[in-house]
Amino acid sequence: MSSQTLPEAFRLRAGNFNLLVLRLLDPRPEAVLPALGDQFRRAPGFLRFAPIVIGLADLEAAPEEVDFRGLVEGLHKLEIVPIGTSGGSQAMKQAAQHAGLPPLRAVGAEAEPAPPPEAIPVPPAAAATEAAPRPDFSGSGRAAMLVAEPVRSGQRIYAQGADLIVTATVNAGAEIIADGNIHVYGALRGRAVAGAADDATARIFALNFDPELVAIAGFYAVREGLGDAPIGKPTQVRLEGEEMRFAPLG
Amino acid sequence: MAQVIVVTSGKGGVGKTTTSAAVATGLAQRGKKTVVIDFDVGLRNLDLIMGVERRVVFDIVNVIQGEARLNQALIRDKRVDTLAILPASQTRDKDALTREGVSTIIEELSADFDYILCDSPAGIEKGALLALYFADQAIVVTNPEVSSVRDSDRILGVLQSKSKRAEEKKDKVKEHLLVTRYDPNRVERGEMLKLEDVREILAIPLLGVIPENESVLKASNTGTPVIMDTESVAGQAYKDAVGRFLGEDLPHRFLEPAKKPGLFQRLFGGRAA
Ligand SMILES: Nc1ncnc2c1ncn2[C@@H]1O[C@H](COP(=O)(O)OP(=O)(O)OP(=O)(O)O)[C@@H](O)[C@H]1O
Ligand SMILES: [Mg+2]
Repeated sequence: MSSQTLPEAFRLRAGNFNLLVLRLLDPRPEAVLPALGDQFRRAPGFLRFAPIVIGLADLEAAPEEVDFRGLVEGLHKLEIVPIGTSGGSQAMKQAAQHAGLPPLRAVGAEAEPAPPPEAIPVPPAAAATEAAPRPDFSGSGRAAMLVAEPVRSGQRIYAQGADLIVTATVNAGAEIIADGNIHVYGALRGRAVAGAADDATARIFALNFDPELVAIAGFYAVREGLGDAPIGKPTQVRLEGEEMRFAPLG
Repeated sequence: MAQVIVVTSGKGGVGKTTTSAAVATGLAQRGKKTVVIDFDVGLRNLDLIMGVERRVVFDIVNVIQGEARLNQALIRDKRVDTLAILPASQTRDKDALTREGVSTIIEELSADFDYILCDSPAGIEKGALLALYFADQAIVVTNPEVSSVRDSDRILGVLQSKSKRAEEKKDKVKEHLLVTRYDPNRVERGEMLKLEDVREILAIPLLGVIPENESVLKASNTGTPVIMDTESVAGQAYKDAVGRFLGEDLPHRFLEPAKKPGLFQRLFGGRAA
């Protein structure tokens, strides 16, 4: 930039983002929202107020059949923020745009005939890890947030762009979230969400593993789904493909 | 400056009012100038348990709304002369309590008293938030059961984020755990949480354990704080808790089931008091 007398007010840059896509299969909000609400209520809290893209490619309906306004309203009520659409016919995109949902262009994908997002088979071992550019979380250099007090029911702690280290217990009803790894040097009885910025290499470590829910990069397991995890023992959780692995520590 | 102590729990019916009455009386018996405020507007229980319900003229809402002076609303206890009660209103709605109003009252009481106890309503809504807002210390009343422990955990989080001390980033509110209605027999049978489990989850210093005891109901029916029933185990346990609050190092009692009744008692069905 050349030197100016006036201070800069902004800069425009292109940016790439990883966004969740809600691929519509049914045009009726009343069919989509209740099921979605259910899933989100059980899903980790980091999805709250998350921006989301409405995928139109798989929708087999006429544009006038789709109640976009109702959908947007309903999503807002679920604390989900739709920011635009991807895919779909020209007419469908226009209908969506009238409801304030502009068409977005997927990085690397053609603007026009948008291929269904899952046309490219993803090898299980590499799912979600090799996504578009994102902040570099690899290895050393990542900051860590340290919490030395018990995390109590109703409390929510988010280590943005960092690992999270808790040297006390995380009680039932509490939620800890980190863009990186999570370490709990106490009992983990609440919810732990690691790799919240979509980092599938993130891990969760707990000295006493007794969680309500664990999630890594959007994959989650509720207590019932923990199977033969070493409950009550020192445990490490990581993602192998789309599978969550629980291994005893040490 | 007086110390403001909130007696709180999240969950209802766990023994907050019983505890407020007992601890306030206990502190006053030890010569501390103590006032106990009922924040449970609409229910008004404390004055019954303190046995002063027939002496209530004005209440905290009257004071806040300028209809009475604080001194007119304060009821001096007839048994312990360093003890006073500020009753809640039975007729007003909860919104009559304002933070500014309570702030003024607490400031005024601070000049005359050593301890100001605030008997919180249940929940984590407005009334409970107001009761804990000015606290320097908190007595968290917990029953040995999962839902009560969970609510206490919740209220501890609220104390450290929504109290005046938290908002002003001062030293944190000092926390005390008081486990009440502890029934060693039911604990032994696995029907109630063990004391160790409660302590482990809440991870704050233990002020005392009050056993489940019939004398509590008797005391409240006669309007006598149970701490005055020096024969009862609950009264003794509260007395110990007050002692610990004042810095004494006392062993915890009444944690084990009472001795098995002897043959004679079993045959004739004797009942322990
Ligand atoms: N240690 C005890 N042993 C037996 N009964 C008890 C004990 N402590 C309290 N109770 C009984 O439990 C009931 C509730 O007690 P109390 O009114 O003190 O609870 P609270 O927490 O103030 O309730 P609320 O949330 O409605 O204000 C009363 O009937 C009381 O007699
Ligand atoms: Mg009460």
